[in-house]
Amino acid sequence: MGILNYTFDWSVLWRDPYGGMLVKGILTTLQLSLLAWLIALVLGLAVGLCRVLPLRFTRLVGGAYVQVFRNTPLLVQLFFWYFAAPLLLPKPAQAWLYDNVPNYAFWAGVVALGTYTASRVAEQFRAGLMAIPRDQYRAAYATGLTTVQVYRYVIAPFALRLILPPFTTEFLTCFKNSALAMTIGVMEVTHTAYYIDSFTWHGLETTTAASAVYLCIAACITAGMAFTEKRVRIPGMIVRR
Amino acid sequence: MIQIQHVSLWYDKTHKALDDVSESIRRGQTVVICGPSGSGKSSLLRCINGLERFQEGRVVVDGVSVRQPGTDIHKLRAEIGMVFQHFELYPHMTVMQNITLAPMRVRKMSRAVAEKKAMALLERVGIPEKASRFPEELSGGQKQRVAIARALAMEPKIMLFDEPTSALDPEMIKEVLDVMTDLAREGMTMVVVTHEMGFARGVADRIVFMSQAKIVETGTGSDFSSARKTKGPASFWNGS
Repeated sequence: MGILNYTFDWSVLWRDPYGGMLVKGILTTLQLSLLAWLIALVLGLAVGLCRVLPLRFTRLVGGAYVQVFRNTPLLVQLFFWYFAAPLLLPKPAQAWLYDNVPNYAFWAGVVALGTYTASRVAEQFRAGLMAIPRDQYRAAYATGLTTVQVYRYVIAPFALRLILPPFTTEFLTCFKNSALAMTIGVMEVTHTAYYIDSFTWHGLETTTAASAVYLCIAACITAGMAFTEKRVRIPGMIVRR
Repeated sequence: MIQIQHVSLWYDKTHKALDDVSESIRRGQTVVICGPSGSGKSSLLRCINGLERFQEGRVVVDGVSVRQPGTDIHKLRAEIGMVFQHFELYPHMTVMQNITLAPMRVRKMSRAVAEKKAMALLERVGIPEKASRFPEELSGGQKQRVAIARALAMEPKIMLFDEPTSALDPEMIKEVLDVMTDLAREGMTMVVVTHEMGFARGVADRIVFMSQAKIVETGTGSDFSSARKTKGPASFWNGS
């Protein structure tokens, strides 16, 4: 009955105070996912590299990292960083955290999403590194380059180009996964949509708005990555459009 | 120039790729290694610049022992050029960048000097007009000539060739072999793994035959020609 009598009131999207809440929610989603992506990139590339270097120790560490962070649910990891991780710290550090980091949930979300996505980025980078023929590594070493130089000038630039398409997907997934942070109370855009609903009973409008926001940001990411792909395209190598 | 003494190499502990191989190559010589696939030719070649970690024996290049702990292997490799079957140019760099990378990063040459030198080398291998192109825009023969120029840019004392013409169409083989022949005539020390018996006969000071991880026979080009009529190395090519 309630649904049949539902009257849409789109003004909840901009009416005070809800408009402000939504904008804040959008900004939080952006901050959360961009910071997480930054962590994922830096950490993921490092871990991926660790897994292919000819050193038993780095392979072990890299392998363990991927096993742990890729093979447990993101939701569980969010709960871990929010509820359990602070308890593992010494007492003074815990106290400092409660006093000085009021938005701890946000940072727990950033770390959880970043470290989880890093495990996936690592595997994709590894796939790129392994797609390069052995003789390509040998050719670079044969000219006298050191291991660091071989990876920096020859292997990494090539591998990164190879994995750009799956990277786009990963970036999008990271940004959509940020919605899960609502479970630990982060006021990102999805949580805000529900929150406004609890005051106004106009959840249909707010969740529609949230969906539209996700679609817009995703379109921007896709366009940005397509542009990047085009810019770094190797002439003669990658199929022209 | 190159002494290979009782070298043995295992892959995965069970597969022996080289079995007590000894060979000595003098300065200015061109030595061709041939034999059936899987006989250890390429592995032996890679032992010379330390790309293979052989477990037994010694390889001494220009007085420097390759696998000795104190050896600066990067410095040694800079003196040894290598050319591969599938060219292995860096696909994301132009021809010019491919050639100048190592001179600039290893030899610390300035860009201007490195590029000038690279141009001279491209002239020498006959494709100066391709300097700003990317590898995938070139034909196979052109790629291999760029690969040779890239190796020569380091002014190596030795050049190693690992089946340099095996991935090429017949009409491109000649352009690569011509460059290699010139190089040999100019006195470069060369070790060449190849199935091009014409090149071996015409250019090689010595031909080494490998089979099942061992050197089974060595001879000069003319030895090979006469032996072919009777027995010996020719049996490799007949598949027995």
